[in-house]
Amino acid sequence: MTTIDPASPCETRNPERNVDALQLALQDNVATLLHAIEAGSTCVVAAPDGPRTLKAIESIPIHHKIALEPIATGEPLRKYGEIIGEARRDIAVGAHVHIHNLISRRAR
Amino acid sequence: MGRRTFEGYVRPDGRSGVRNQLLILSVGHLTGPSARRIARAIPGSRLVAMPYGSSLIGADRALQMRAIVGMASHPNVGAVLMIGADGPKLKLIDQAIRASGQSLVTLCLDDHGHDALTLSDRGLREGARLLREISRQRRQSVPAASLLLGVECGRSDPSSGIVANPLIGRVVDRLVDEGGRAVFGETMEWLGAEHLLRLRGRTTAVGDALAAAVLRRERLAIESGLDLLGNNPNPTNVAAGLSTIEEKSLGSIAKSGSRPIESLVGIGEAIDGPGLHAMDAPSFSPESLTGFVASGAQLMLFSTGVGNSYVSALAPTIKLSANPEACQSLREQLDFDASAVTLGRTTPDEATERLLDLCMEIASGSLTWGEVLDEGDEVLSRLGEAL
Repeated sequence: MTTIDPASPCETRNPERNVDALQLALQDNVATLLHAIEAGSTCVVAAPDGPRTLKAIESIPIHHKIALEPIATGEPLRKYGEIIGEARRDIAVGAHVHIHNLISRRAR
Repeated sequence: MGRRTFEGYVRPDGRSGVRNQLLILSVGHLTGPSARRIARAIPGSRLVAMPYGSSLIGADRALQMRAIVGMASHPNVGAVLMIGADGPKLKLIDQAIRASGQSLVTLCLDDHGHDALTLSDRGLREGARLLREISRQRRQSVPAASLLLGVECGRSDPSSGIVANPLIGRVVDRLVDEGGRAVFGETMEWLGAEHLLRLRGRTTAVGDALAAAVLRRERLAIESGLDLLGNNPNPTNVAAGLSTIEEKSLGSIAKSGSRPIESLVGIGEAIDGPGLHAMDAPSFSPESLTGFVASGAQLMLFSTGVGNSYVSALAPTIKLSANPEACQSLREQLDFDASAVTLGRTTPDEATERLLDLCMEIASGSLTWGEVLDEGDEVLSRLGEAL
């Protein structure tokens, strides 16, 4: 069980460090972009266990999500350490995660 | 750290107002246009027109009565001019409002020759007199704990759930720790997060009720055949990067902070006792805010991602965003800029202190942008069919 700690997403950040995206919880397989990113560019992700780097395989708008690991069709997507839906198709690392490949599990 | 205070209006029923407004209240929309005419003629008065009338039945009838009495006896209201066309109903409402000690003049269309202009003339004179009378009242120092804070989000984006709503949650925690009250609603936006809320119920019964309330609305959505994608999250949320109701909910409930949830109430029902409470109500902001107001919330904290100008008419509504672009472009809409937290230029702790300071400042009489620009209204939910 994960509770949302209001402090953690913000306090993982160091303004001096060049961070492109935020991973809010250890279990998350997506991160939220702090600014738009171009296809092929390197994305520095601030995570609870430290920074990590991956390559964006497509252009992604500001505040949208980037996949941190490969996710197979039907597998849960996690943000805030919680399930936000499931993959409607296979998702590659560095891909844009949004309504084209992520679907809610609720009210259906 | 010392306890916070603000300069408020102490009311006969012991509650504290953050404003001292003259409410022009129309009951049933036959007198709505007259109420609008009177309100326009008395600058500084607040208009609330309750459109529905004698055809209401069951839960709608009870809700309308509760909300009218709740708004008219609201601590931010110094006096009420109530007009309507249904004499017996006005009499009932009049008695309920007076029981709170509220200063009130009630005028019925039937007693004014069935003439809107005669009613308007008398209403204008009575309203002017009431406003002059309440202007003699003075603010005095009251504890922050006398606040019932409503928390809301609208036209959210991912910055809402990651920064702005957690910031509101911290303010809620602080207010609750000082003995105050807070209320959150928007039941549909608990969907996918109900397992977290359930654990926060003060009792098992409260936790179960929270989960049942959201599951009931999930069934309503399924039965209606409505796809939540494009509805909640709405098109603005989706364009901004929110993909599912679960994602939106997990960000939305951050506004409720981390303290136990004392009770689950219906729209406009009494919120008893200190602490954090939940309201089972529609997530559409105008309905949600009016629900909080009808239950007596004097002040609102309202986060937005990309921008949302709507505010409550009776409770000052502090608008904040953590989206740097919105904070740059919406300078006459947003009362608090939380983008410094998003950009890592300030800590959530510092931002919480500043937001608490602003709450006390606004509660003491400083105006919100929504008040300056008169963006406020009150919109009561309708639940079902009428006769």
